[in-house]
Amino acid sequence: MRVSSCVAPILAVLLLSGCTSPAWDDHDYGLKAAQSAESAASSLEIVRLAVRHEDRLTTSYLKTLFTEAVKDLGGVNSQFGGVQPPSPSADEVRGRLLDLTGEAEDQVTSLLIQVRRDGIEDPEAAVKDLEGVAAKLRAFEEAHQ
Amino acid sequence: MKARELHANLHLLDRQVISADDGHPVCKIDDLELTFDEKGCPYIVSILTGPLALGPRLGGLAGRLMVAVTELFRPEEDPGPQRLPMRLVSDINSAVAVGGTPQEAALEHWARVNLIAPLPGSGAAPVAHDRRPARIGEVTGELRMSTLLGRRVLDAGGRAVGQVADVRLRQDGPMLGDVQHAFRVDGLIVVPRHTGRLFGYERGPHGPGPALVRALIRGLHRDSRYVTWEQVDTLGEDVRLSADMDALLPLSDLYRPVSADQGHENGPTPA
Amino acid sequence: MKKLFAVTLGILTAFGGFVDIGDLVANSLVGARFGMSLAWVVVVGVIGICLFAEMSGRIAAVSGRPVFDLVRERMGPRAGLVNLGASFFINVLTLAAEIGGASLALELATGINYLLWVPGVALVAWLVMWRVKFETMERVFGLAGLALVAFAVALWQLGPDWHELGRQLTQPPADEGAPTYWYYAIALLGGAMTPYEVFFFSSGGVEEKWTRKDLVTSRANVFIGFPLGGFLSLAIAGCAAVVFFPVKAEVDTLGQMLLPAGIGLGQLGLAAVIFGVFAATFGATLETALSSGYTISQYFGWQWGKLVRPRDAARFHAVVLAGVIVATALILTTIDPIMVTEYSLIFSAAALPLTYLPVLMIANDPDYMGDQVNGRFSNTLGTTYMILLLVVAAAAVPLMIATKAGQ
Repeated sequence: MRVSSCVAPILAVLLLSGCTSPAWDDHDYGLKAAQSAESAASSLEIVRLAVRHEDRLTTSYLKTLFTEAVKDLGGVNSQFGGVQPPSPSADEVRGRLLDLTGEAEDQVTSLLIQVRRDGIEDPEAAVKDLEGVAAKLRAFEEAHQ
Repeated sequence: MKARELHANLHLLDRQVISADDGHPVCKIDDLELTFDEKGCPYIVSILTGPLALGPRLGGLAGRLMVAVTELFRPEEDPGPQRLPMRLVSDINSAVAVGGTPQEAALEHWARVNLIAPLPGSGAAPVAHDRRPARIGEVTGELRMSTLLGRRVLDAGGRAVGQVADVRLRQDGPMLGDVQHAFRVDGLIVVPRHTGRLFGYERGPHGPGPALVRALIRGLHRDSRYVTWEQVDTLGEDVRLSADMDALLPLSDLYRPVSADQGHENGPTPA
Repeated sequence: MKKLFAVTLGILTAFGGFVDIGDLVANSLVGARFGMSLAWVVVVGVIGICLFAEMSGRIAAVSGRPVFDLVRERMGPRAGLVNLGASFFINVLTLAAEIGGASLALELATGINYLLWVPGVALVAWLVMWRVKFETMERVFGLAGLALVAFAVALWQLGPDWHELGRQLTQPPADEGAPTYWYYAIALLGGAMTPYEVFFFSSGGVEEKWTRKDLVTSRANVFIGFPLGGFLSLAIAGCAAVVFFPVKAEVDTLGQMLLPAGIGLGQLGLAAVIFGVFAATFGATLETALSSGYTISQYFGWQWGKLVRPRDAARFHAVVLAGVIVATALILTTIDPIMVTEYSLIFSAAALPLTYLPVLMIANDPDYMGDQVNGRFSNTLGTTYMILLLVVAAAAVPLMIATKAGQ
């Protein structure tokens, strides 16, 4: 019973940490956008590292890694997309970021499909594409901090 | 030979009880039961164990729940905790060894019959549905050690001295089962305020380290006193003393070196 | 000769068994975010666990009493019960994390979703605890955990700029705030000094019937095995610091944490590391599940352990079984195992003094220890650690709230 009395608050913390709080003003919204961009860029970097060394990794490992990345990016998308932009100017920030993360998600999804089929077709090109989007996300993050 | 001296809270309560035959764990000393000799001095007759002994000591919601649930499943009119007679104790050391085969705890029996034995590979032959050996002659006492601990202590003039933190026992009480003397109450260790346990740091001028912990705990209990049994007048709801507060020994005097065999006084010596 | 073999085997077991999901996650996260700037915490943690594990091993060998027995004996039934509640809760949380970790390792090996592996892992773990002898169990998984040495080889193969890693030791990255830095420091300490390690270590000593003669074995395990394990932890952090830190990639899944081994060593290295992670987390699953049984049984004075048949320790086995079921259910809620690990680390850190203070007191008590009481060195260091652990315990949960669990 002492145990159960500590379980409740902890479960609450666990549950709450999965949610995003609302944005109070443009600045706050910008910070949230930057954070989302950072986490998306981080996912992309890891996918890029894996693609660059894909010949050294096993298929089932790549599959798991990419599935997780798609899930992560999707999570960023839906979580940030769910925050109400506080003003019309924030709408524009929202649009730009969601375009970028959407593009990232598409890229990784297509890589996942290739891995599931018969391996990544053109790793070098994929690395370049991933680098491009990641760089844009980093730039976005810098601009909104 | 000098009689052995122990502290009830420090050396007995919450120690593990093991079987004297093969050393397997039996139970914890959840409480101790005392009775009075012809001179009115309490001595220990049995070890109490089980939820009905532990529950009241825990107090609070946990303790009450533990007692309530146990009473719910006990068919007797007035169920009591399991008692292990002190005469069965053959050794008091880092664990307390008892001879004989004590009755198996009800929960163990229940868990074995209902949960563990039905699983394949539990090493169980089909279990007969009876609990192992019945009780070894009940010896009921009149006073629980845990109710003595924490009692308020008032001196002859009615001034509050503090509360009982530990009870000093000396093994020169009445004979138990013709083999050994009982531990009788020799004195009380009284601390001035509700600062909890002494953790054994009250022993000896060179008590156990680390120095910082020792200094901290001694500092918290710096005005502690030792009350000999002769100075106790009545054991009521409060402990009434026949002596005045100023006549009481400071606790630090308890182990002032007086003789060469001082080292043996600091608790149980290995058998 | 036989003695030497036994001691070596013990050391290797301690070495391979040191790293569990907590160490793995904490070190990877920290390496990726802070480079090597928190490496000192691992050193502090390893010295701490050596200190207190040695004490509890010595207590077990001299007096035959395991740690949680002493917790109640010295702290009394009430403080003991609070301690029991906290320790049991953390144990089950850690158990859930370990089951999750072992299942994730199987997912990485096969590509089949980890949730499908969870019930199987839990069942096999329970069967091992039910039937396999203590010594065999400890040895097999400890030794298999040695496959994690691949992380150290991978670090070397990655050919890092050692100079740069050395520079990171003293310079935390500028863009991370102080609260996050200290939050992760506490997580790392919680990972290195997890209380279940001493519960298991001392109960194991009692089960193997250590006597004074075994003090050498106990000390060799602790003073050689654990630091080697700490070295593995640092290698894991180093790998993350080389691969992820420069590109500012944060890791949050087990798969990502193993990427450096694949990059450094190729498919074979990756396979070795996945195997190592599975062995280490599966071994730790057994240790945490048994520890949950040890803590409760030792508090109430029940018969415990694997030396007797399960039917003779029915309550102990019932608790272990219940612990495994609750932990499995927790993981099956699809809660992220890595997140469970992070929380268990912080709560472990907050509960550290509860376990280690009674150990320190008993190790000084001549009634228990005879002539084997702590020396001045152990006491000075022990007191210093006690103060440190109290500070950590007080800071852990406030820091978790302030940093939103390190975000």
